Amino acid sequence: MSVPAGPQAPAETDAAGRAGSTDDSRRTLTRTVLRAAAVPLASVALGLVLGAVLIAVQGHSVLSAYSALVLGGAGDADALLRTLQKATPLVFGGLAVAFAFKAGLFNIGGQGQLLVGAAFAAGVGFGLEGVPLVVHLPLALLVGAAAGAVWGAIAGVLKATSGAHEVIVTIMLNFVAGNLTDWLAANPWQDRSGSNIIARTPLVEPSAEIPTWGWLPAGFVLAVLAAVACWFVLERTTYGFEVRSVGANRHAAHYAGISVGWIMASTMAVAGLLAGLGGAIESLGVDGRFEAGVNVGLGFEGITIALLARTNPIAVIPAGLLVGLMEAGAAKMQFESGVAPEIIDVIQALILLFVAAPLIVRWLLRLRDTDDRRLTLGAGWGR
Amino acid sequence: MTRLTKRLALVLAIVALLAAACTGSDDSDAFKIGLVTDTGKVDDKSFNQSAWEGAQEAAAALGAEADYIETEEAKDYENNINLFVEDGVNVIITVGFGLGDATIAAAKENPDIFFIGVDQFQAEALPNLAGLIFPEDQSGFLAGALAGMLTETNIVGAVLGTDLVPPVVAFKEGWEHGARYTNSAVETISTYHPGGLDVAFGDPDWGAATARQALDQGADIIFGAGGATGNGALIEIASQDGAYCVGVDTDQWNTVPEAQPCLVTSAMKLITPGVADLVAQAESGEFAGGNYLGEVGLAPFHDFDSIVTDDMRATLDDVLAGLEAGEIDTGWPPG
Repeated sequence: MSVPAGPQAPAETDAAGRAGSTDDSRRTLTRTVLRAAAVPLASVALGLVLGAVLIAVQGHSVLSAYSALVLGGAGDADALLRTLQKATPLVFGGLAVAFAFKAGLFNIGGQGQLLVGAAFAAGVGFGLEGVPLVVHLPLALLVGAAAGAVWGAIAGVLKATSGAHEVIVTIMLNFVAGNLTDWLAANPWQDRSGSNIIARTPLVEPSAEIPTWGWLPAGFVLAVLAAVACWFVLERTTYGFEVRSVGANRHAAHYAGISVGWIMASTMAVAGLLAGLGGAIESLGVDGRFEAGVNVGLGFEGITIALLARTNPIAVIPAGLLVGLMEAGAAKMQFESGVAPEIIDVIQALILLFVAAPLIVRWLLRLRDTDDRRLTLGAGWGR
Repeated sequence: MTRLTKRLALVLAIVALLAAACTGSDDSDAFKIGLVTDTGKVDDKSFNQSAWEGAQEAAAALGAEADYIETEEAKDYENNINLFVEDGVNVIITVGFGLGDATIAAAKENPDIFFIGVDQFQAEALPNLAGLIFPEDQSGFLAGALAGMLTETNIVGAVLGTDLVPPVVAFKEGWEHGARYTNSAVETISTYHPGGLDVAFGDPDWGAATARQALDQGADIIFGAGGATGNGALIEIASQDGAYCVGVDTDQWNTVPEAQPCLVTSAMKLITPGVADLVAQAESGEFAGGNYLGEVGLAPFHDFDSIVTDDMRATLDDVLAGLEAGEIDTGWPPG
């Protein structure tokens, strides 16, 4: 996982932000974006090519497999809806990892933060009755986000006060969250109606449901807004500057008068808030309830998304859409062409491998290593 | 880079168009069967596999076509069922209680398609939906009754998947009550996996460690019920001389050959014949909605045939009769 971490001057990381109105600056912007996106795009292409080889080796038609994949993910309104629904928690999970990366923290706890967000949002969603939508839905979202924030903050505060490594703490908190939410769904909050024997809560009240407009789930709109908000906070506020400074060089940040402990604790809280919000939207907008076991792995996929987006909050959106599309289309691909759906996991792993090892991609594509904007992942270890 | 992207987009668009043009219909008149797994795999050596074997058995007998979809994520159940609906199949089998709601919804929307829900209890009967359910408690009770007679230390153990899944609890309650039924002095050590649903059935290491612990505490016959977790327990017990183990769901003599040195029997629920029978009913038009009670029973004793005495067999027959007559309390459902 560790990529050489070069100290990185925060001021340079701004790429998209400097867009002016003149043609010249627009062209520069395009070039910057393309250069930054070259490795991820090439990695995706390479992953798909290798995936095609694997499909062909198994004796299936690559054409029918990939066309079914695309049709299953974007072929009609239903398919598009599913892609966007799947992309939503991926974007939130990706932001939860990317935001923490900016402060040099590796948040493996997206899964746990997402679970508590999903469970507590559902708790408010079915627990309150007779509350108008304008109060109920925001309240449920807020409680879910707050639960995630608390879960993330635990790791951040421990890191800031005692130096406990956030990777270890967040992994452990994932287990705690998994068991806590399973218990909630199987005991105090279990749906006792009819013949239900499943560990799940009752359906949330209609006043707490997140609407879907045709093929567009409102949750996805929130995900896009969250990504833009993250970018703004990181690139356009003093707080964001402090976060990036701590990520670039903790000691320099300290000598510059930045409260490193506060930044680490609050960054983890924001990361947890994002993941928790993703979980809340999952409960209130997709599943309609919280059920033990159905959100497994969602939070971990955020790590893939963040890496694919090279921790750029805006790039998290297309990264989430791409993976969401592959996951939404996988069933149709299996159905039409007989390819085992695990091929999607393999392709994702390949893409991730190429993104994490950009040297391979650069060498394969003869890309010059022009930019100095390497991914900073390693700052969490040691130092 | 931009040119490449444009070309890529163009190729994708052409591919999509071609595919849209090609997805015509292959409407043969053959009877078609579709099966949707839960998030397990179709070769899981457990209930998805048993159900798929039932579908294949029925397809062979009826000259029908059978196909399956493996579900990757629990949120996809509805979509995967709909893929078969759009394909125009006659029967859709959904495996596992997790698909219960999606199956009921699909059955209501598609009254012309027959649905078979494995492990799905039907609170209200729909004419085109049959829930294939099993009295797991009776299966566990029979195995427990045998264990109570076989144990020499008077301690029997159970290594179980999570208590979040009611059939697992039913197996456990039946097992304990069965052991006490034939041996009032017996002591039971039953342990559920402490993890969530995501790991409880896929943790053979924990299963092995827990089985070892039960052996150390003196248990000499142990029930492993919980997917790969239970299988891990069986394989661990196989390494201990003189200890017996009991499998679950199918005859694990065949599915977990590593456990053969200790495997006395398995507490089975016969999913394969149940599914095959229901599909045949759908084909012949005798399909009745509601709940279909599948058969349970003990697997053959294989190498251990000689240690099960005639007296024990007679007792097991009595227990079976008592269970079928409803005269024996298996401890399940509680209360």
